[in-house]
Amino acid sequence: MMQATDKQENPTRSGLVTAPELKRHGFFRNVFSGIKSLLEGMKVTFHYLSHPSTVVTQQYPENRATLKMMERYRALLTMIHDENGLHKCTGCQICHDNCPNASINVVTRSNPVSGKKELDRYIWRMDSCTFCNLCVQVCPFGVLKMDGSFEGAVYDRRLFVFTLNHYAGPAAGLLAKVADPEERKKMIEPRDRYSGPVPLNGQELAGVKALKKAESGCCGGSGGCCSDSQGSQGSKEMK
Amino acid sequence: MTGITENIWQAKTVAQRAAEALPESVWFALGYMVLGVVGVAAFIAVLGMGLIYAERKIAGHFQCRLGPMRVGWHGIFQTVADTLKLLLKEDVVPAQADKFLHILAPLFTLLGTILVLAVLPMSPIVHVSDVNIGVVYVGAVSGFGVLGILLGGWSSNNKWSLLGAMRAGAQIISYEISATLALLVVVLFSGTLRLSEIVESQAAGWWIWRAHGVGIVAFLLFFIASLAEINRTPFDIPEGESELTAGFHTEYSGMRFAFFFLAEFINMFIVAALTATLFLGGWMPFHIGDFAGFNAIMDMIPPGLWFTGKTAFLVFLIMWFRWTFPRLRVDQLMRLEWKVLLPIGFANLIAAAVVVLFNFYFFPVR
Repeated sequence: MMQATDKQENPTRSGLVTAPELKRHGFFRNVFSGIKSLLEGMKVTFHYLSHPSTVVTQQYPENRATLKMMERYRALLTMIHDENGLHKCTGCQICHDNCPNASINVVTRSNPVSGKKELDRYIWRMDSCTFCNLCVQVCPFGVLKMDGSFEGAVYDRRLFVFTLNHYAGPAAGLLAKVADPEERKKMIEPRDRYSGPVPLNGQELAGVKALKKAESGCCGGSGGCCSDSQGSQGSKEMK
Repeated sequence: MTGITENIWQAKTVAQRAAEALPESVWFALGYMVLGVVGVAAFIAVLGMGLIYAERKIAGHFQCRLGPMRVGWHGIFQTVADTLKLLLKEDVVPAQADKFLHILAPLFTLLGTILVLAVLPMSPIVHVSDVNIGVVYVGAVSGFGVLGILLGGWSSNNKWSLLGAMRAGAQIISYEISATLALLVVVLFSGTLRLSEIVESQAAGWWIWRAHGVGIVAFLLFFIASLAEINRTPFDIPEGESELTAGFHTEYSGMRFAFFFLAEFINMFIVAALTATLFLGGWMPFHIGDFAGFNAIMDMIPPGLWFTGKTAFLVFLIMWFRWTFPRLRVDQLMRLEWKVLLPIGFANLIAAAVVVLFNFYFFPVR
């Protein structure tokens, strides 16, 4: 013990690294403590081998029915809609401005009844998104969240660009102040996942139903993606 | 001692059979030779696939996962699928590489493996060739493995490959000494270099415990040094994925990579088999002194099974080491050999020599 304390006080007096196996009694102590610690490690790993119940990996396609993703897993940006199907987005575009690679495009409109500015379409580009979570963090109204549904693979990359909100219209709080249900209905317009200025624009694909002609025609004024030729092609496929 | 080797099993190697058949017809002799060559080749292919599958399964469970589970029942055909893939893969040779040496290197590595395999006595009847300098021969031809590694690292014209190859060279030169010192203990006790005679000398008891404690020390030394010689974890610094990408086989792909890979796994088998042959009695059954009944029951298990069981246990031990121990640094590796294993090896050899010289036996050895 005395030797050990001496060494601690004066670790490298000569500037050389001291090797424990060169010390008196150090050689065999070192060998045996080394073997002992190795055996300890082997005991741990053998326990894993002999107890298949210690397997921690998810057997994914097999356990699909019971699979529960972690709460903080970031796979799919979603807009939170309450039980009445209303969201809290005001169309303030803070997320739009903060997105580091312009994966979010918030299109606004003025309400046909009140004339106030509100959300028309919340378009998200999953293909360029890095899932950095900045949009969720900057949103002052807690509208967005990252969902755990990770099975996002598709056969057509146009499917990666879609609308998140289910309706165009004022946020839930504003809508609650409108007493008349008829008035409410006038303020709201339903929005589809693949309608408007998204590459797919209401066309039919395997697994995606074509939208009605009236909806696919509506571009929210930004044009571009929603050309006439695409629209007519889509309607031809619909028959 | 005589019971097994002479009465029950007539020990004969394929080479002996070929020599006996030669006077009758050249074709018989050639047939035996072809049998030996094809047998070794088929053995390597099947054993390689089996070992790779076992390694992946065992590694999985050591790390709390399941390993391959998709191809066939519990992934049993995974290695077959991987082998087919490696056979069909494009073989890339770097533009600035020394093409001749680059192609030659994996063949050298595999050659060393095959040459050792030919002299291993797996059972009295499964033995290709019995060389009278067996132990020396094994030590010599296993150098082909590192020659292939050195050539591969040098010819790849890649600094990682070269570093890995030089590490392999330093490692093998160092650890060959300890392995040989441990091996000499067995040679001292059995008084022969022929592997089959070393096996037969253990009929009364295996050298690991019949050799007065020096046997156990020699066994541990030989096992550790052999692990270092075949670049197996925890001594896999020539590969050193985290430092050298893939070490000496960074620039290898397709079939040539498969050769390196195969040689690595067969070498693992060879180390286990050699250790079993030298220290655990090879294909000799387990006997306890004069318990005739117990010994008779043990004799009923065929020698091939004894050999397989011992080798399988040691292979499992090697895999266990790999998936438990962290990799050593280069300086730690050198320190372990020159400051720990080498002094112990010398002291052990001297102790063994004293025991043999003064006939200091508790029970008859020869």
